[in-house]
Amino acid sequence: MRIMRWLVVLGLVGAGGLYVLARPAPLAAAAVADLTGDAARGEQVFWASGCASCHAAEKAEGEAMLVLSGGQRFPSDFGTFIAPNISQDPEHGIGNWTMLDLANAITRGVSPEGEHYYPALPYASYAKMEMQDVADLYAFLKTLPADATPSQPHELGFPFSRRETIGVWKLMFLSKDWALPGNLTPTAARGRYIAEAMAHCGECHTPRNMLGGLDTSLWLGGAPNPSGEGRIPNITPAKLGWTAADIVQYLTTGFTPDYDSVGGHMVHVVENMARLPESDRQAVAEYLLAVPDVQ
Amino acid sequence: MRVLLMIAAASAVLGSVAVAEEEDPFADAVEMRHGLMLQMATDLGKVGAMAKEETPYDAAVASKAAANIAAIASVLSMDQFPAGSEYQKATDSFALPAIWTAQDDFLQKIADLNSASGAFQTAAGTDLESLKAGMAGLGGACAACHKAYRQPEE
Repeated sequence: MRIMRWLVVLGLVGAGGLYVLARPAPLAAAAVADLTGDAARGEQVFWASGCASCHAAEKAEGEAMLVLSGGQRFPSDFGTFIAPNISQDPEHGIGNWTMLDLANAITRGVSPEGEHYYPALPYASYAKMEMQDVADLYAFLKTLPADATPSQPHELGFPFSRRETIGVWKLMFLSKDWALPGNLTPTAARGRYIAEAMAHCGECHTPRNMLGGLDTSLWLGGAPNPSGEGRIPNITPAKLGWTAADIVQYLTTGFTPDYDSVGGHMVHVVENMARLPESDRQAVAEYLLAVPDVQ
Repeated sequence: MRVLLMIAAASAVLGSVAVAEEEDPFADAVEMRHGLMLQMATDLGKVGAMAKEETPYDAAVASKAAANIAAIASVLSMDQFPAGSEYQKATDSFALPAIWTAQDDFLQKIADLNSASGAFQTAAGTDLESLKAGMAGLGGACAACHKAYRQPEE
């Protein structure tokens, strides 16, 4: 009986400890205090990071890609996530966010109200971003239009509807370590930064475990399509079988080496990569060719 | 008796042909558009290899390939896309039903491809740098339509 009582106490202490550990962990204000953003550089960060691909309205093209009114739906094993409005509208968007708010959102997955965001926002990738890039992105976002479309709530079942569960997820899977560790050439290191910190390639091309964390031992080894149809391909060197020139041409034009053209959500990625300097696409190619093969 | 048997056999053969045609009334349309895309890919392969600097730039070859691409673009119309020749209804079709529900936009995408392939024809015959730059615009027109109207393959 006495043992039972101790077990209950220990359990409560453990749960309490986990509760404390899994609380949202925002950055210190000093993280961005001395930074000034450059909107022109921020535009490169914006495209490299694929913000508009998810936060622009469904089927937006051209200039409409800069109206970040949200609304696109992303089905997953945990329910359907609906991209929120991140336009400059002060009420429905993020128009009154500070630079620190943006840094917390995208590198820590924490809202200005101190709540966890779901990792459908790929902060597990953005956590590796340089704070100067966040500051530049902030300056660019400030130049974009406001839109008053209200954000829609995600459609999630219990227990995933409880944001506390995200804190535990972060403890397990939020890491600043590179998936491809070690010293790389300057070009490949730039490619790693683009692919892993900004373009978040691994979020779709790497399989996830039961808890929704990326299995980095199978980095870029292909995964089921979260929308339920088909598979996202294995893009490790042997399976892909493309040269650096093939990869650069694909990321510039959308043409595969067989001159089929890119389709589906990857069209967004190509459109984004095509806006970067050629040297960045070459960097991504060099990085991809350095990733270990997954069979 | 023998005559009757022959008639029976002949009508069985004719019947099976009729059934086969009924099963896939869109075979010709799907074959036609896939053939056009395959020829497009063949011509893109010539200019693409130059863009990748795998083969030397040749203005005459590039111009001819670009002219072919523009010609194929001009052939594309609803003729190759009869209503119903869609993904999971016609064999080998990856055409999404939105082609027919948003037909004006689909036709606009074809018009955009015609503009892009026209511009590429000029670029491809100019020099290698123009050809390289022109590939992105052309690829963008291909991808815009495939994003909206083609079911992604496995």
